[in-house]
Amino acid sequence: MNAQIPSLLSRLSTKSPWLYRINAGSCNGCDVELATTAIIPRYDVERLGCQYCGSPKHADIVLITGPLTVRVKDKVLRLYQEIPDPKVTVAVGVCPISGGVFRDSYAIAGPLDQYIPIDVNVPGCPPRPQAIIEGIAKAIAVWQTRI
Amino acid sequence: MSFFLPVLLRNLLKGPSTEAFPFGEAITPKKLRARISFDPDSCALCRVCARICPAGAIQFEKKPDGLEFNLWHNACVFCGLCALYCESEGLHSTNDWHLSHLQSEKYDLVERATVKFQKCTKCGKQKMPAPLPLMAKLYPGLPADEIERLRAMCPQCRKAETAPAEGEPS
Ligand code: SF4
Ligand code: SF4
Ligand code: SF4
Repeated sequence: MNAQIPSLLSRLSTKSPWLYRINAGSCNGCDVELATTAIIPRYDVERLGCQYCGSPKHADIVLITGPLTVRVKDKVLRLYQEIPDPKVTVAVGVCPISGGVFRDSYAIAGPLDQYIPIDVNVPGCPPRPQAIIEGIAKAIAVWQTRI
Repeated sequence: MSFFLPVLLRNLLKGPSTEAFPFGEAITPKKLRARISFDPDSCALCRVCARICPAGAIQFEKKPDGLEFNLWHNACVFCGLCALYCESEGLHSTNDWHLSHLQSEKYDLVERATVKFQKCTKCGKQKMPAPLPLMAKLYPGLPADEIERLRAMCPQCRKAETAPAEGEPS
C-alpha cells in the first residue's frame, strides 16, 4: 500500500505540473506575458493541466524571466534550491537565454544557464503568450520523462 | 436584469473566447514582428545591420571568399531595426514566432550564410556584391540589363562608366 501511493501520486502529477515564476531582474515585460497566459481566457494555460502556484515548494515547472542581475543572483539561486526535484526549468525571454539588450552589462551576472540547468528556452522580447504556451507544452513533455 | 440578459445571450451565441492553440492554429497577425529572415543574394555587406542591432545579435565573420552573416535568434529582440535600416532589402521581419526550443538546440538557432566577394567584370579586382534591390534604388529608370551590367563592376569602374571624366569616351 505504502509503495503504491508514491507511484499513484507520480502518475497523477504527470498530468498536472504546477508552474512557478521567478523574476531574475526582468523589465516586467515577460512577466506580464506570463500573467496573460494564466489570467486571460483567450490564452488560458490551465487547459494544459497546469496552474501557477505561490510557493517554490509546490513547483514542478519553474519559469524564469530576466537577465539575472548581480543584485538578485544569490536570491534567485537560493529560491531555485528550494524547489524540490524533479523540476523542469524554462527560460522565458531572450534576457535569461543570452542577456538580450542587457548583454555584457556590468550589472548582469547571466546568462542564466551558467548557474542553473535550463531545459527549455522561449526566445522573444517578450515572447507572445502563444509562444510561452508552446514552451510550457515542451516543458510538460520533458516533465513527463522525469517523473 | 434587463442589462444582463443581452450580455448573457451574446456570450451564449459567441462560444468560447479561448484560442485553440496549442490544440489548433494560433491567430497570428500578418505584421507581427518575430523571426528575422536573411537573404544573402540581397546583401551588400555594408554591415549597417550589425552596427544598428541593439542586442548585438548580428555578427560578421571573415571567411576566405567573403563574409559570413550570423544572426542568433536567442539574442534578437524583434525590434526590426535591422530590416528598417537595410537599404538593400536583405533582412525582413517575418511573423514566424515558433522559436521555443530545448536547451540542446540553444546554439543552433542561428541564421547563417556566407556572402561571397565578387570579381569586377571590367578590371578583375575583388569587390563587394552590389545586389539588385540596392542598385535599382541607386539607378532609378535604367533598363534592367544596364543595371545588371553595372552591378557586376567594382565601384571605381562603375563610376568611370556612369560619370566619365572629360574627354573620355562614355
Ligand atoms: S526579454 Fe525583453 S521583455 Fe523579457 S524581461 Fe528581457 S527585456 Fe524585458
Ligand atoms: S543585410 Fe542589409 S544592412 Fe546588413 S550588411 Fe547586408 S545589406 Fe547591409
Ligand atoms: S530585429 Fe533588432 S534585435 Fe533582432 S537582429 Fe534586427 S536589429 Fe537586432
